[in-house]
Amino acid sequence: MATTSNESDSSRKNTDNRENDNKDEQNNMFECNICLDYAKDAVVSVCGHLFCWPCLHQWLETRSSRQVCPVCKAVISKDKVIPIYGRGNTKQEDPRNKVPPRPAGQRTEPDANTGFPGFNFGDGGFHLSFGIGAFPFGFLTSFNFSDRHGVPVGGQLPQDDHYLSKLFLWIAVIFIIWLLLA
Amino acid sequence: MNNIATQRIKREFKEVIKSEELAKCSIKVDLIGDSYTELKGEIAGPPDTPYEGGTFFLEIKVPETYPFNPPKVRFMTKIWHPNISSVTGAICLDILKDQWAAAMTLRTVLLSLQALMAAAEPDDPQDAVVAKQYKEYPEIFAKTASHWTNVYAGGPNKNSEFDTKIQRLIDMGIERDQARGALSTYNWDLERATEQLFS
Repeated sequence: MATTSNESDSSRKNTDNRENDNKDEQNNMFECNICLDYAKDAVVSVCGHLFCWPCLHQWLETRSSRQVCPVCKAVISKDKVIPIYGRGNTKQEDPRNKVPPRPAGQRTEPDANTGFPGFNFGDGGFHLSFGIGAFPFGFLTSFNFSDRHGVPVGGQLPQDDHYLSKLFLWIAVIFIIWLLLA
Repeated sequence: MNNIATQRIKREFKEVIKSEELAKCSIKVDLIGDSYTELKGEIAGPPDTPYEGGTFFLEIKVPETYPFNPPKVRFMTKIWHPNISSVTGAICLDILKDQWAAAMTLRTVLLSLQALMAAAEPDDPQDAVVAKQYKEYPEIFAKTASHWTNVYAGGPNKNSEFDTKIQRLIDMGIERDQARGALSTYNWDLERATEQLFS
């Protein structure tokens, strides 16, 4: 009987220890890699390492010529740091001020895919460029027609495209023949 | 002293105390005074090297700008190693210079130094004489390093041949450490060492 009770005691102790270890680990998880304290104004690098923003900022200032992650030495920069916004605590108290505010998160709005693409010819859908270089073939460098999403939109456009490219081809051929004859 | 530096050293101090390496007696850190700006490190000579069995003490000075700049570390125990000055104990190690990163700690620095002791970099030497011997006469290098470990770091390998040669120079009026330095430099060639000392 004595042995069994001992066993259960020790197993309880083990679970207690494990719980404590887990707590420690969880706390360590959110420690800044520079000051080793709980991360304030937390930011995370693209390589995934957590820092206080004031600490990381000071590191980037100290090594302005060679900006690398203090943990893994991957290339990092101020613009690519992601702030972490937890719930609650929003007060801005920071003893090490005189630091520019932590960079804002980068948000991309989802595409609002509306309207009639057919009428978009003028605003960004049409791109045409010429160049006349030393070499005569430079004349017909590029002309391309693209709508917003790079997909043919239907209607008149593809046919226009075809017609225009033929036209330019002929102009080019005539130009070359003229050059050869001259 | 700067608050971050002190806070960090306090935390790191705990980290070293909790670490497995301390339990294995391979690294140790002690405070000098209560200022947290100066510490004393201790590294055990790594196994299967001429430094095995020795204990090496380090002087660690923590700058105001720590951890954004590396700590200044120097061997207080004399050591025969291509990347450590046999005279001053100055260390040539990239992470203590331009490769320092703010996430490194006293623990990782001491472990890196231990790794450096096990794997020298003779092509980037601090002590050119030692590096030359390391490359040209590896056996003499190993014996010399082991002898220095015995004399200065409490290592186990006594070398009576070297001791006799040193004694010969001492009899001529040369100071002991100077005699050992000259003999080590000239690959334990007594004649050349004598020549150099009296020229």
